[in-house]
Amino acid sequence: MAKEIFMPKLSSTMETGTILQWLKNEGDPVEMGEPVFEVMSDKINIEVEAYEEGVLLKKYYEVDEVVPVNTVVGYIGEENEEVPDTAPAGEEEKAEEPVSEAIEENTLETTTDKTDTSKVRATPAARRAAKEKGVSLFEVTGTGPKQRIHQDDVHLHAEEDGQQELKASPLARKWAEADNVNLENVEGSGPRNKIYTRDLTSQSEQIDEPERVPMQGIRKVVADRMTESASNVPHVTLYSDIDMTEAIRLRSQLQDKMVEKTGYKLSYTEIIAKAVAVTLKRHPYLNASLNEEKNEIILHQEVNIGIAVATEQGLVVPVVSKTDQKGFTELVKETKQLGESARKQQLQPNQMQGGTFTISNLGMYAVDGFTPIINQPEAAILGVGRMKETPVGVNGNIELRPMMAFSLSFDHRIVDGAPAAAFLTDLKHALESPYELLM
Amino acid sequence: MRELTYVEALREMMSQEMRENENVFLMGEDIGVYGGAFGVTRGMIEEFGPERVRNTPISEAGITGSAIGSALTGMQPIVELQFSDFITIAMDQLANQAAKLRYMYGGKGNVPMVLRTPAGSGTGAAAQHSQSLEAWVAHIPGLKVVQPSTAYDAKGLLKAAIDDPNPVIFYEHKLLYKTSSEDVPEEPYSIPLGQADVKREGEDVTIIATTVMVHRALEAAKSLAEEGISVEVIDPRSIVPLDEETIIQSVIKTNRVVVAHEAVKRGGYGGEIASMITESEAFDFLDAPVKRLGASPVPVPYNPELEKAMTPQTEDLIRAVKDTLNRE
Repeated sequence: MAKEIFMPKLSSTMETGTILQWLKNEGDPVEMGEPVFEVMSDKINIEVEAYEEGVLLKKYYEVDEVVPVNTVVGYIGEENEEVPDTAPAGEEEKAEEPVSEAIEENTLETTTDKTDTSKVRATPAARRAAKEKGVSLFEVTGTGPKQRIHQDDVHLHAEEDGQQELKASPLARKWAEADNVNLENVEGSGPRNKIYTRDLTSQSEQIDEPERVPMQGIRKVVADRMTESASNVPHVTLYSDIDMTEAIRLRSQLQDKMVEKTGYKLSYTEIIAKAVAVTLKRHPYLNASLNEEKNEIILHQEVNIGIAVATEQGLVVPVVSKTDQKGFTELVKETKQLGESARKQQLQPNQMQGGTFTISNLGMYAVDGFTPIINQPEAAILGVGRMKETPVGVNGNIELRPMMAFSLSFDHRIVDGAPAAAFLTDLKHALESPYELLM
Repeated sequence: MRELTYVEALREMMSQEMRENENVFLMGEDIGVYGGAFGVTRGMIEEFGPERVRNTPISEAGITGSAIGSALTGMQPIVELQFSDFITIAMDQLANQAAKLRYMYGGKGNVPMVLRTPAGSGTGAAAQHSQSLEAWVAHIPGLKVVQPSTAYDAKGLLKAAIDDPNPVIFYEHKLLYKTSSEDVPEEPYSIPLGQADVKREGEDVTIIATTVMVHRALEAAKSLAEEGISVEVIDPRSIVPLDEETIIQSVIKTNRVVVAHEAVKRGGYGGEIASMITESEAFDFLDAPVKRLGASPVPVPYNPELEKAMTPQTEDLIRAVKDTLNRE
């Protein structure tokens, strides 16, 4: 019996997965535990392993196709075993979630794919005629029972088609005339090879074509999530410059021990994370998320800080769980290891789940401040700019202090300006008196 | 030209052969003075005597077994079974002896016999005397199966059957005995087994029909021609061996095909022909599903109207042709 390969549900919020690549071809032998394809959820790329040993019999989806979770994406079984031609609809989700609708829509879409003529009702003679004349059976109207296409239908279609001859947009015709281009030598990029002006430019002059990078993988996820957050959530951003004199001192005092103990350096990110975590305990509405469906605000008991990491593929946010309860040693180890995994693209789904607040640190760049976009469904995000020596007034004197630019974007639906400002003020205090963090 | 009935053509061929070839003799029930159940051998005992026109007891297995034995010794017997339904009694002799001996003896022995027998319904002879069981014998490798539909074909095919060194089951049709052809030459002639005959040329649909169905197909073709539908009628004449090439070329030309026989459709030889077509190069030329016509899967009723209703008639052929053309 051939066994189904399902699109895995890698997290509680995952509804669809995008197939990034197939690691096996149809007909390839597959060992149990061998990766079969790579999938990207809203959070992560992961290789899906085979639960069976056998031969990959069928792939129903191509790279970049978005597939609902629990949908059959392929089959593993014995060589030459019969499997359905089209992907069976997903089952498990149907009863409980509205996802089922998406599944049905999706399968419908794939079966009516215009390039797949195997599902057209046509006689063998009609197929032969269509092949000879280069006619797509999808465009032919069948006159037989149940719209079956007969040979004559193809001939008629080809005749009608022939009368229109060369297809080109009116502008393309004029342009071609002006430039003295013979349209017959131009390959059209439109439907049924219709020629547009863009086809003429590539013909008449050499242009350095821009590189076109497909929006896929993490890039696409980031794009979707940012658009959603930026357009749906009323963002307000508060700014504060924080004096890091004491934090620098704390760091330098702990540094040697830290390296000795963990092999990693203590960085400001961890100090800030710790300060944020401790402060959040006193500001539950900043450590919250909104459930729009149920119209309720969820105040999280755990403080799980997500730390934005830039990778070659794009932005990912690994989560340090229970940040407030961890000491610096633990925090440094965990943060550094998560960062490494992220850059190697080896993060597991659970390492990116459960975040309640996000920190985005651009301090290593010449950035003095920015307005971060909230990582939905969290209530707020902290943007960290660079530290620079700035003249500030201290007790009537002007002193140069290492000031760091902080910006807090919050969801005004969940929390108002004053409580958010109170949080930022408390955070400022925590960072300016970091020894209290050790209490 | 010379007009002759189907019965006369058969009798003439047997007589001519017996005059020339002393190894040929006849065996069967009541084929002597009575002239056989349908009068095919009438008058032959007078010319050839009881040694060569041998009346036998009522035992199909016995007659057939004797014929096989004499054929092995070099004789060329022609057996007549009164009704082809009784071939079931001779089945062991045919399937396990006649069909096998040449093969099992590595060609050291032949069974050059002909078994003539009338098949088909339409005479009110009821369930045990009206069947068309040609698919039974066609299934056995080693037997050849011939089904002439006209007097002309009957004479030429019978000559080929007598000359063939293998056992040949020669199906005659009760309704065709009195039909005549206008151009039956007096001198002996042979129509090779496995050579189909295009009974009518056409462009739109091919009907492949056997025995009595050939005539209904020709009637249907005539009637359809008035509506502008051009039908080609092919008579395979022998189903083993089958002239596949003629059928395939016709289907490639017309793109549509109806296979019609009087035998029950279920398990009938029409299924074999239809499958052969779809397996052949003609597949890519099919513009409609291959249509099969055959009798309903019921015993032949003892009631003239029901008997007609269970077997394909001219109107059924006309409808089938129109079906393949998507026309009402």
